[in-house]
Amino acid sequence: MNKKGGKLISVYWFAILFIVAGGIVYMVSAFYGKPYDVRLAEADILTSKIARCVSEAGYLKEGVLTEDFKNNFMESCAINFQAEDVYNWREQGQYYVEIEFLDFNTKQKISQISEGNQGLKPDCGLEGKGFPVCVDRKFYSIDKDGNQYQIKILSIVRKTEKNVQ
Amino acid sequence: MRSLGENKLKNKSGNILTENIIFIILNLVFLSILIVFLVSKMSAAAVLEEMHAKQIALMISAAEPGMTIHLDMENAINIAKKEGINSGDVVTIKENVVTVKLREKGGYSYSFFNNVDARPNFDTLTNKGYFFVVDKNE
Repeated sequence: MNKKGGKLISVYWFAILFIVAGGIVYMVSAFYGKPYDVRLAEADILTSKIARCVSEAGYLKEGVLTEDFKNNFMESCAINFQAEDVYNWREQGQYYVEIEFLDFNTKQKISQISEGNQGLKPDCGLEGKGFPVCVDRKFYSIDKDGNQYQIKILSIVRKTEKNVQ
Repeated sequence: MRSLGENKLKNKSGNILTENIIFIILNLVFLSILIVFLVSKMSAAAVLEEMHAKQIALMISAAEPGMTIHLDMENAINIAKKEGINSGDVVTIKENVVTVKLREKGGYSYSFFNNVDARPNFDTLTNKGYFFVVDKNE
């Protein structure tokens, strides 16, 4: 009677072990099968880089509001939006940035710079796997003459195929 | 002379001991297989390729010209050695695309947006990582 009971417990024990192991195998496979999504970090770094490019120690850099800076923004800030040549990424464009310079007191737009794939902007705020990641930041800056500015930076990174499954 | 009862008791104890040992061994085998599976998944070449390619791309994106960054890649380099890949060829950077290759039929690429000249150099002192020299793009 006891012996039978012992065997019965062993069978249940192994059944439970297999169920637990199945669960672990499923969870581990699901976790490691998905790509690492680094787009938020990438968009954050892009935002910081642009902020450092237009402003230093709280002061707006000289010439940032000029047409020349606007036209040569990518070279001036050392940014290259060319992505690897897969999934038609090069033609499509995987990045978009928009920088707005506003008067701090009146909130009137003084200047705006935008670069990259503009088609990504309408997808901001939409929830779902296939949409790009958007980072929206704003900060205060002042120029040599004491004029105050609010600078808004919107950074968008798509690269969906390599970051989401 | 042992009695019949004593012999039966001895046989029964022997059976219980054998059953318990088999039960424990089976449990250990089962757990070992599970641990081997977990470790193999965690240190799979494909996972490490993706992780390091993205890590390096983000690192270079955040870097400033004049910086030299050291990255510990011991696990990845050990796997590359096993797969017959030269340690100095694990990381390559072409234009602004980082590629990490740990297998003959593998490799993972990821681009960075920082317009700099980044060069990967294998750390020959420790043989465990890479130095990334970041300079202005001329």
